[in-house]
Amino acid sequence: MTKYVLLILTVLTGVALSGFACGHAETATTNDKVRLALNWKPEPQFGGFYAAELIGAFKQHNLDVEILPGGSGTPTVQMVDNGRAEFGIVSADELVKLRAKGGDVVALFAVFQTNPQAIMTHEARGLKSLKDLLESPGTVAWQAGLPYVTHFKRNFDLAKLRQVPYTGGLPFLTSPDFAQQCFVISEPILARQQGHQVATFLIADSGYNPYTTVVITKGSTLRDKPALVAAMTKSILAGWTAYLADPAPTNDVMRKLNPTMDARTFAESAAAQIPLIRTEETAQNGLGSMTTTRWKTLIDQLKTYREIDQDIDPASCFHPASTP
Amino acid sequence: MSSGRLRRLLTTVLPPLLVLVFVVAGVEWIVARGWVAERLLPRPSTVLRVFVPSSPDPLTLSDQLDLRRTLLWATWGTAKGAVLGFLLSVAVGTVVAVLLSSNRWVRRAFYPYAVFFQTVPIIAIAPLLVIWFDFGLPVVIAASFIASVFPVIANTLTGLLGTDLALREMFRLYGAGPLATIWKLRLPHALPSMLTGYRIAGGLAVIGAIVGEFVSSGGLSSLGAVIDTARTQLRTDVVFAAVLLASLLGLAIFATINALGTLLLHRWHASEQP
Repeated sequence: MTKYVLLILTVLTGVALSGFACGHAETATTNDKVRLALNWKPEPQFGGFYAAELIGAFKQHNLDVEILPGGSGTPTVQMVDNGRAEFGIVSADELVKLRAKGGDVVALFAVFQTNPQAIMTHEARGLKSLKDLLESPGTVAWQAGLPYVTHFKRNFDLAKLRQVPYTGGLPFLTSPDFAQQCFVISEPILARQQGHQVATFLIADSGYNPYTTVVITKGSTLRDKPALVAAMTKSILAGWTAYLADPAPTNDVMRKLNPTMDARTFAESAAAQIPLIRTEETAQNGLGSMTTTRWKTLIDQLKTYREIDQDIDPASCFHPASTP
Repeated sequence: MSSGRLRRLLTTVLPPLLVLVFVVAGVEWIVARGWVAERLLPRPSTVLRVFVPSSPDPLTLSDQLDLRRTLLWATWGTAKGAVLGFLLSVAVGTVVAVLLSSNRWVRRAFYPYAVFFQTVPIIAIAPLLVIWFDFGLPVVIAASFIASVFPVIANTLTGLLGTDLALREMFRLYGAGPLATIWKLRLPHALPSMLTGYRIAGGLAVIGAIVGEFVSSGGLSSLGAVIDTARTQLRTDVVFAAVLLASLLGLAIFATINALGTLLLHRWHASEQP
């Protein structure tokens, strides 16, 4: 009897350990079948990717792309690092933090040149700036572990603020002195539709502005399959160019995948995000382009706030690395 | 300590202790050899290092508090919510069980709804608790209560209903009223079952408290808040350390109930006799 029990335990342990090992190995894929892991549900912030599929850009470049929608807490940066997806969407600070921990992921295309994260509160409070909001009595709901929160703690006096976890918008609707983190292109639009007058303050205006909705891939993928990566980047550029010109057809596709927002909200959100995507920098260097200077600024900030404990070479974070 | 008791202590403590040593050493070796990335499974030594008093850690976002003191304060924060929730479960659960035991029709009508406390997914209703009770300790106590009240009701009820029929008849023969019957006969006889209920409820109270803290506890004032923040910052070592502390808290409640059981019952009930 004991022998059999020991045998079963050994087998189970072996299976469990090989499960760990599998997660660590590279998954073998054919050259053109790839997965793009999103870090939220299909929304206008990902419009260009679905547009690339719709206009046939992926097919044109011999790519078979499976877009994986995400949700709250989808660990896209780890998914790419572990080989569970060839490409993923992350925010620039996640990439820097993973590189500081020894991960090897590289950015290819930055959709948002201006970080769309903001703090949203009721207009009736009469606050005029982020500084007013952070230094006045009230409640703010945010994810305490995010780097921008550290940025606030280092640059503003938050003593009068009650900080609570962010778990969706319900308390916002019922409390007059409530504020919460949001994406300026979605929650405020939804709040206004429900009849609430909201004021939003972009976090980027306070000096913390990481690239957002950044397409990344694993460093080894870039080195071993440069043609694949180049094809993906070109398709994504074509997709975003098409989406910015006419978002409606792609919005219809995304709405079927994400029925929580209606057509009007999709259209408003798509319009609201254009100035954050098309800037002076992209007019010069192209949609989705990145600069060493901005990566360096981010790395310096994260190092000052002790979010990372070592220096990272900004040029190693993105490809193709440009001159400052 | 007599040799008999010493021997009993060793035979109960030593086997699980050896398993612990082997598993911890095994995990440490596997991760040190690189078979599993440290990002996925932190080494036990890294987790334990969290408890060593050290220089300020970025996670605490403060230059005064080190990680160990932050975690100890967080454990105290969770303990408050969990213990208060547990005590509320004991109080309310006992009253409800007594009421349900008094009348067959009352029991049939209302017991199915008590099961609701068992099955409602706390993580899903936690945001609603925030709407009703506002952020902070009340939500934690409410979540802890909801998670732990059903075992108290179920086990107390079983104990109350299981009183020997002959004894109940005897009480009736002597003209004892319902209150005297409950206080002097049914509750004492129900104690072993009630204690079983408390043992189960204790661990659940800690779980409920942490779920409540995920949605209502800001900063680093509780284990739930620490886990949430550490998770966002990919600090798996801190997450493991906080989970360990939460388990120890549940264990402490469990041990207290066991001690209480021994104290109350060792003189007269078979379950606590050596």
